[in-house]
Amino acid sequence: MNSTYIWLPLTLLLVIWYLTFSANRLDRLHHRAETSWANLDAILQRRAALALDIAHTGAVDPATGLLITTAAHQAREAEISERSEAESALTQALLLLIEETDLNRRYPELFKELDTITERLKIAISLHIEAVNAARSRRQRLIYRIFRLAGHAPLPVKYAFEDDSLMEITR
Amino acid sequence: MKIGFVSPYAWDVPGGVQSHIRDLALHYRQLGHEVSVLAPASDDSEITDDFVVTAGRPVAIPYNGAVARVLFGPVAASRVRQWIGSGEFDVLHLHEPAIPSLSLLACSIAEGALVGTFHAAAPRQKVAFAIAPLLEPVIEKLRARIAVSEVARETLRIHLETDAVVIPNGISVASFAQASPNPEWKKPLNIGFIGRFSEPRKGLDVLLEALPNIARVHPNFRLLIAGPGEGLEAMQKINPSLRNRLLFLGRINDAEKASFLKSLDLYVAPNTGGESFGIILAEALASGVPIVASDIPAFRYLLEEGRYGQLFENENSEDLARKVISLLKDQKTRDEMSISGVNYSQRFDWSQVGDEIMNVYLHAHKPGEKVGLSSENRLWNRIFSREDE
Repeated sequence: MNSTYIWLPLTLLLVIWYLTFSANRLDRLHHRAETSWANLDAILQRRAALALDIAHTGAVDPATGLLITTAAHQAREAEISERSEAESALTQALLLLIEETDLNRRYPELFKELDTITERLKIAISLHIEAVNAARSRRQRLIYRIFRLAGHAPLPVKYAFEDDSLMEITR
Repeated sequence: MKIGFVSPYAWDVPGGVQSHIRDLALHYRQLGHEVSVLAPASDDSEITDDFVVTAGRPVAIPYNGAVARVLFGPVAASRVRQWIGSGEFDVLHLHEPAIPSLSLLACSIAEGALVGTFHAAAPRQKVAFAIAPLLEPVIEKLRARIAVSEVARETLRIHLETDAVVIPNGISVASFAQASPNPEWKKPLNIGFIGRFSEPRKGLDVLLEALPNIARVHPNFRLLIAGPGEGLEAMQKINPSLRNRLLFLGRINDAEKASFLKSLDLYVAPNTGGESFGIILAEALASGVPIVASDIPAFRYLLEEGRYGQLFENENSEDLARKVISLLKDQKTRDEMSISGVNYSQRFDWSQVGDEIMNVYLHAHKPGEKVGLSSENRLWNRIFSREDE
């Protein structure tokens, strides 16, 4: 008997197993990127809300207040593709507050929360970047492209963010 | 929050990773979280911590140049499945998941908010290219990775091409800062050393070679050495006239360690390599002891390039002697180092480290989600109906 009859189905089975395994892997990576984005988004929303609170304390000079309010609203309404740019603008605007030591003294809770949020933001960003990179580089592999293992899952969006200015915020 | 920890190493054997997990679990329990630890154990009756679930007897395997007592295999896997299946954990925290161990098993079996901490530092290995493809599908399930130091992070980057958040190991600063010196040990010009001194990489030999030079300037110094063993071999190596300067204390427990550090004027860490973090330096800082340490990457990082302790050139005993001599002369600098060290050590306190790790948990976890078994395992269970979920 020709041994092809044994090997062919066996190979086929192995290929099917490998493809399911690979699809599963990619699915998990997409899921990871979604989770990290959901977390990042939540923290960014909290930061925008806090920025508005600080701007509305009345103790901020009108020019700075206007700048922060505008940046916070733009960050909230930005499309996902423009999000990181808008958030960076908010970071820059918040940097202006660091010099206002007087304000810092009058509203310690607000600034303490800003510190906490910034710390969490740094971690959220690095985790998200990692998750997105992992999913993207896997999708680019030949076997994933040939067999369209990504299905209809959208390509995870990269989020560029200058870590340096965040560092300055927390001093 | 309900947190499950997996220890790769036997719970009834002392070790850095195990005590890290125990302290962290106790810290979170104190804050009102529910904790459970799954760990191998050679002897179940030795386990007194009520939050520990044992997974079986570990085997000793040579791994990465040392002997590791770890546990894996089908029986262990079924214990892991059972523990995860019935645990309803919000977050699963796996320690050292990149070595063949219970943590790696748990990582491959579980699905959900998985966090991994990488403790070890290892130089680049030739086998890395062979290991990486096997580990990658498992390790990429971790939603967040923590490295205990820049050195551990670098190891991870080289071996598995993945990045991590650096969060240091924790200590209880208060227990070191508030300890009182042992009057038996407390004498002027005490130099201290802690570690398994029979291992060459702990660097006791470098320190012993520096002793004659130190004795020429400070004839009254004493060297206290704590660690398992009587040090007969070390005694052979040194000049007979210096033997009465050495005192071997044997193995000491945590409370003794705190009062040991408090009894010192100077702590010397001459390790020649293989360190990933250097928890003893954090403990010495918290005790307010000035430090002289070798300039290996882990120590340079922990002491911020010499800001919180003096660094000497690794394996250079002449340089070590110079640093020790000048510090023993200079009470003022020692006092300053002591104060700044205690302040800096707050950075390693569990209150701070615990918050940072909790932060990572929150990032890995989606509200309402529980850690479960991965789909492959569910399928496996269904086909072979091995156990109920």
